Amino acid sequence: MKNTITIISFLIFVSFSSYSQSLSSSPYSIYGLGSLYESDFGSIPAIGSSGVALPSTRFINSLNPASLGFMYKNHFMFDVGGNVIQTSYQDVSRKENRNNVQFSHIAFAFPVTAKSAVSLALKPYSSAGFKISDYKLPIQDSNEEYTLSATGTGGLNNFDISYGHRLGKKLALGLSTSILFGNTKDSREYVISNSVTTIDKESSYNGVRLNLGGQYLIDSTFTIGANLKSPSRINATKVQSVLTYNADLEASNTIESDVHSDTDDYYLPFEFSVGFNKQFKNNLSLSMDYERSLWEDSKQADLYGSYLNQDKFKMGFSYRKDKNIRSYFDRVQFSTGLNYDTGFLEIDNKRITNKAISIGVSLPIENTFSTLNISYSYGQRGRISNGLIKENYHKLSVNLSLDGIWFVKRKID
Amino acid sequence: MQNPWLYMLLGFVDTALLYLFKIFFMYRLFIVLFFGIILTSCDSDVDAGEFVVGSDNLSLNNKVILIDTATVEVSTINFDSLVTSGQSRILLGNYDDPIFGKVSSDSYFQLSSSSYNLQTTSSDTEGANYVFDSIRMVLLPDKYYYGDTTKVQSISIHRLLQKVKPNSEDDNFYNNSNLNYDAVSLGSASFTPKRLRQDSVFVKMDNVFGDALFQKLKKREIVTTDEFVEYFKGLVIKSTSANTSAVLGFGTTSLLQLYYSKKVTDSKTSILKEFTIDDISKQFNRISLDRTGTIIKDLPGTTGRLSSNLTENKSFIQSGTGLACRIDFPSIKELKYITEKGAIVDAQLLIRPVNNTYSKSYPLADSLNVYVADQLNRLSGTLNSASGSPIYAVLNKAQDEFDENIGYSIPLGTFMQNEMVKKTDSKSALILTIPNISKGVNRLVLGNQKNTGNKVKLKIYYISY
Repeated sequence: MKNTITIISFLIFVSFSSYSQSLSSSPYSIYGLGSLYESDFGSIPAIGSSGVALPSTRFINSLNPASLGFMYKNHFMFDVGGNVIQTSYQDVSRKENRNNVQFSHIAFAFPVTAKSAVSLALKPYSSAGFKISDYKLPIQDSNEEYTLSATGTGGLNNFDISYGHRLGKKLALGLSTSILFGNTKDSREYVISNSVTTIDKESSYNGVRLNLGGQYLIDSTFTIGANLKSPSRINATKVQSVLTYNADLEASNTIESDVHSDTDDYYLPFEFSVGFNKQFKNNLSLSMDYERSLWEDSKQADLYGSYLNQDKFKMGFSYRKDKNIRSYFDRVQFSTGLNYDTGFLEIDNKRITNKAISIGVSLPIENTFSTLNISYSYGQRGRISNGLIKENYHKLSVNLSLDGIWFVKRKID
Repeated sequence: MQNPWLYMLLGFVDTALLYLFKIFFMYRLFIVLFFGIILTSCDSDVDAGEFVVGSDNLSLNNKVILIDTATVEVSTINFDSLVTSGQSRILLGNYDDPIFGKVSSDSYFQLSSSSYNLQTTSSDTEGANYVFDSIRMVLLPDKYYYGDTTKVQSISIHRLLQKVKPNSEDDNFYNNSNLNYDAVSLGSASFTPKRLRQDSVFVKMDNVFGDALFQKLKKREIVTTDEFVEYFKGLVIKSTSANTSAVLGFGTTSLLQLYYSKKVTDSKTSILKEFTIDDISKQFNRISLDRTGTIIKDLPGTTGRLSSNLTENKSFIQSGTGLACRIDFPSIKELKYITEKGAIVDAQLLIRPVNNTYSKSYPLADSLNVYVADQLNRLSGTLNSASGSPIYAVLNKAQDEFDENIGYSIPLGTFMQNEMVKKTDSKSALILTIPNISKGVNRLVLGNQKNTGNKVKLKIYYISY
């Protein structure tokens, strides 16, 4: 027991330390609220992040709350995961490698009745980590330049409360409330002529968003699913300090100090995803999703950049030998997938697309549905051109999907 | 205690612990490896910040703007009284400046001696045998000169008819102070100043005057400084030549030398008695400018200003005579409205001397004093850095003398920001003078915003936040 506590403490410590670091630091994170995360629950990262039509039987499917309607009675599930990512950033003249570790999620789900279940999940929504050193920019209305150095940290978190309910044998509907909260810090240093100006801004965000999902079993091997995410306004406030120093005059001047103010709210678009899951010969499964985010209809302020509508195509196969075979190896699931994302950013008239391939294994733990999921994906984001950067990344996702059979026998005196 | 939520939680914790325990023993190698990678990766994440995308977006949040179209009003003002006493310089000469008019400077001072006894030793009882020889003024140059020094200078020395005592309430004499003097010259000299950069000027003085002074001392009618000053109130040295073209400086160590000798035998021993400017507050220069017929003839009084728009787009500074350049920024408050919130982080004023108004004879000062003044030209002090040291307008020494970039630059970041955000309606102006304002006659002609070729230029760096 002592050992177990040590291990648990260790896991919690590692999760939180990597969470607090929020290490994603893509140069593209200067836009909006930063780079957005994909969900990495269960074996989803191995099948190209598809799965809107997958049920929450073996893991918590965060892509569709309706999946909870298919959760087995008397089970409960726990899912925790993290990623290790190595990214190489490359532009016209340079290349640089960076490693980082990200907390992915922590979630659990439990049935309420035989036909319905609830899940709670905490996961990062976006990371605003970036760094800019001594970058030269033109001064408006002149041929002079100024130098900008900046660092961004922080990001938004997403806390989901989801409920799924099965109507009859084939149809399940689900509702999920996402609470988005968090803050970003942006420190900028401007060297303009003989002066240095620092602007430190801490922005706080909070908002709520609704998801509506449905899954329908056409037959025992074929499921279709859809999920709608409502547009939402994320309230933003900021606390800002502005300080200037003039070298000629040896003068420090506090222009403002910790001034609270409202800033432009951030708008999440209407998003929908549709997909299906088909099983062949009882051991090969194909999952395909299409997702669209209508950023153009959201009234995004210039502050966050101008966004385009985003399309995502996701597809994955998973394979497992016959369930009945007793060999451990035969119960291991192998998966592979593709993901193509047009992105919502357009910089210098070029879209920042993201494409990735992935493979993964799900290692069952004892004779339950619990698995240790390990997946690897290789992806590219952006491209090399003037003012753009290509990111090549290797991502290793590891998560534990724990399944427990819940016997309500225990009594407390 | 039939709370299903509590049961659920306990069940969850129970099972989670059980499984984690089992997993650890089944996959301990893998788990240790995995977290090992995580921990080492944490350390290797170094972002040098060299990769930047979206420069258009970066400049969106905080706009950096250079404003070089703000109005700068340049005018000339006239300080009618500058303190010229106590400056440790006898300023003499006159010149006819083609732009400014006729400049001339006369110097007034009181002399005294450490002792009024003619005897050289206490045992010397033969005072009756002393005879007067000669008296002369010795002027020691202090290397200041302004103007064309190749022309002959003539000076004339006169005896003051009133004591060197200020008329004003304070103890100062001003560039326009005046004392009565005897029209009869006690001595005069003509010399070409160029040579006198090393050499002293000796002016032989009237023997009648010298002998009378000598007799007073000999008869011991004068034994104290008070008695001496009562008898001999002081001197004024005037510049007399009509066609000279330079003003020269002499040290206040200049002195009056009285030679006498002891007539005992045929051999004559020459003895010297010296009278010096002991109190420099009793020495001042009267510096005047006759602007008749020049473009600055209409200069208003101390509190007024003459716009450079009326004076060929030029502004004028002259030491000694009190002309100074005033600079106003009438539209500075409007910069507040460029963006919702903005600050001036730096500003530079480059004010240029007008071509062909300076030369070797009329050189440019290396720097100018910068004062802050109100609407009535009342100075609140020098423009200072944050640490309190004065800010100067410093000359850019361009290699080519006629380079259009030659000019005086003043860092104005803090001044401009303060002016912009100032709550009251009052606006401050800057006043430029040459550092030797009280003891020289250097002058400078500066261009305004409409001056072709020598425009004053104001650059304001502004950031929105």
